[in-house]
Amino acid sequence: MGKQNRRDFLKTTAIAGTAISGLSIKSAKAAPKDILSEDRMGVLVDTTVCIGCRNCEWACKTAHDLPTQSLDKYSDRSVFKEMRRPDESALTVVNEYPNPQNSEIPTDVKVQCMHCDHPACVSACIVGAFSKHENGSVVWDTNKCIGCRYCMVACPFQVPAFQFDKALNPQIKKCDFCFERTKVGKLPACVEICPVEALTYGNRNDLVKIARERIRRNPEKYVNHIFGEYEVGGTSWLYLANQDFSKLQFPKLGDKPAPGVSESIQHGIFAYFVPPVSLYALLGGLMWITKRKNESEE
Amino acid sequence: MKKIIMLWAALAAICFAQNKISKNHPSTSLTCKTCHACEVPTKQDPCLNACPRASMVTVYQPAEKTKNVVTLGEISKKYMPVIFQHRIHAEMAEMSGGCTTCHHYNTSGPIQPCKNCHLLNRKRDDISKPDLEAAYHRQCITCHREWSHQNNCVSCHALKSSMLSSAEMQKAKALESKTHPKLVVPKKLVFQTNDKDGKLVTFFHDEHINLFGAKCVDCHQQQNCSMCHDKGKANMVNNPEGMPIKMQKSKAEHHKPCFTCHQNDDCSVCHKDKVAGPFNHEIRTGWALNRFHAKLSCTKCHGSSYKFTKLDNNCISCHKDWKPGTFKHEVTGLKLSKNHLDADCSDCHINKDFSKPPTCTNCHDDKSFPKDKPGTLVAGKRS
Repeated sequence: MGKQNRRDFLKTTAIAGTAISGLSIKSAKAAPKDILSEDRMGVLVDTTVCIGCRNCEWACKTAHDLPTQSLDKYSDRSVFKEMRRPDESALTVVNEYPNPQNSEIPTDVKVQCMHCDHPACVSACIVGAFSKHENGSVVWDTNKCIGCRYCMVACPFQVPAFQFDKALNPQIKKCDFCFERTKVGKLPACVEICPVEALTYGNRNDLVKIARERIRRNPEKYVNHIFGEYEVGGTSWLYLANQDFSKLQFPKLGDKPAPGVSESIQHGIFAYFVPPVSLYALLGGLMWITKRKNESEE
Repeated sequence: MKKIIMLWAALAAICFAQNKISKNHPSTSLTCKTCHACEVPTKQDPCLNACPRASMVTVYQPAEKTKNVVTLGEISKKYMPVIFQHRIHAEMAEMSGGCTTCHHYNTSGPIQPCKNCHLLNRKRDDISKPDLEAAYHRQCITCHREWSHQNNCVSCHALKSSMLSSAEMQKAKALESKTHPKLVVPKKLVFQTNDKDGKLVTFFHDEHINLFGAKCVDCHQQQNCSMCHDKGKANMVNNPEGMPIKMQKSKAEHHKPCFTCHQNDDCSVCHKDKVAGPFNHEIRTGWALNRFHAKLSCTKCHGSSYKFTKLDNNCISCHKDWKPGTFKHEVTGLKLSKNHLDADCSDCHINKDFSKPPTCTNCHDDKSFPKDKPGTLVAGKRS
């Protein structure tokens, strides 16, 4: 069987293809990447407790080897005059908003990657540089990234930032849930330093229960909403607040996972190899027509 | 037989476990189930319920009986232990939530140190309550931030390096004997509202305490520390006496303390176009308080504060024992002569209206008050 004809080749590749895809689904369940574990961790951010000391900003930069001022410089509250976003030089920032319950104490809100349960960045990344890990973190791999920045467009919270100023080897920067620290049993840097424990690190399911309990005990203090419990299909980071989240510049998002729509369209189109088969059929048809034309001309 | 012995052993073990309750454990009439979820709580697993904050606490004590200074030093690494002036804070807390502000889940036993519930480690199994550092900070920073508008560590924590100097040591020592200065109670406060009609609200602070029988904590329950301590802010304390105070809080917040009593009152009772005068019993009720009544507090006649009951102007409404024969008329400054002792009050005081001068004509055709008197004047008392 030295000579394999075209039909046999197509048959074997189709069989091999399904076998590989079947295998990859099975192996994904065992691997820690891109699956949703019941034991995944999270952080509950109680914005009613946060005092806006910005120690988390310092700890984050220090833990991620980003350039930073000394810690005592962070007590400067004038930065709150303008709204800030996490960027390539600061993976988390704290913003300040008026507090309707007590005008003396403003509400401070820490912003960083929410570590979605169904991350749009993972879905959008065409080379698989993003992955959702078993511990809940959504992590970016520098070795795979090609710098397309689809993740920045896809993220419903506009978190991933790109090092535009770097000509050589620019990186996507975002909170990685201190993946390297939690791997060795440490707490995320921001959680560890928070002087009032406005950030509580723990099993996400436990955190939801704790958040509910806080609302139940203090219904006057909290709005009855845990941001991130259901938003975009749930996020690892959860928020409690004393006012409507839209007033704290949280985006208004549905309960469906962000990549749900795009994925369902893509998966719908690509089901049963329809686009490649139809493309090859079209090309084959064109070839056949031109070949016949050439033959008839000859 | 073996089974019975085992059963007895188990029962004995349970009884022993139940009896061995530590000294710190509250021993009052609380049922075990109020705090413990399981049948046999042990030291390892006390299975504590999430107690309702504050309502569990029965240990209330006046601020002056509390510890003067508490040193918090369990978690200091970079900083010296915090010298917490407990008594001063307890005094201030009397106007802002009381002991329970900090001692929130304490049961009816002795005051528990924070570290009994709040663990030292940030990384721990029970994350339902904050760790010790966060627990301390949450108690302190909220108020300190309100009036200092800062979060700087050094206002409570002295740096370990700086403490080496003797000046810092002396400063710390001086804190221990410091007491809270006596509060200056304002007489009158005028609030300027944004309303067109009834722009000014005059609040007589002294009257509410001395006359109406209000206690400080009736209004000053959740007092912001910044009310006194925020020097940069124009507020009631920093405001010169009588100058109108501009509204800074929401309408609801401003009305809240007043509405405890003035719930059903018309707006115009408080809101006026001019600065109002002090409370006048004659203007408000049509019955002037003279002589003996002038210095009485309202509660003396009208029952407990907040539930003042309306009275008619018959003496007997308050003076239940004032009847002919038992009433000592000399308290009015006039001692009745023997002949008049058995007369009914209304014989002289027509319709028992004691605000009008008495008359003699009911019995005597030729006598008239005040020329003629039914007795003798008592020395030192005005007739």
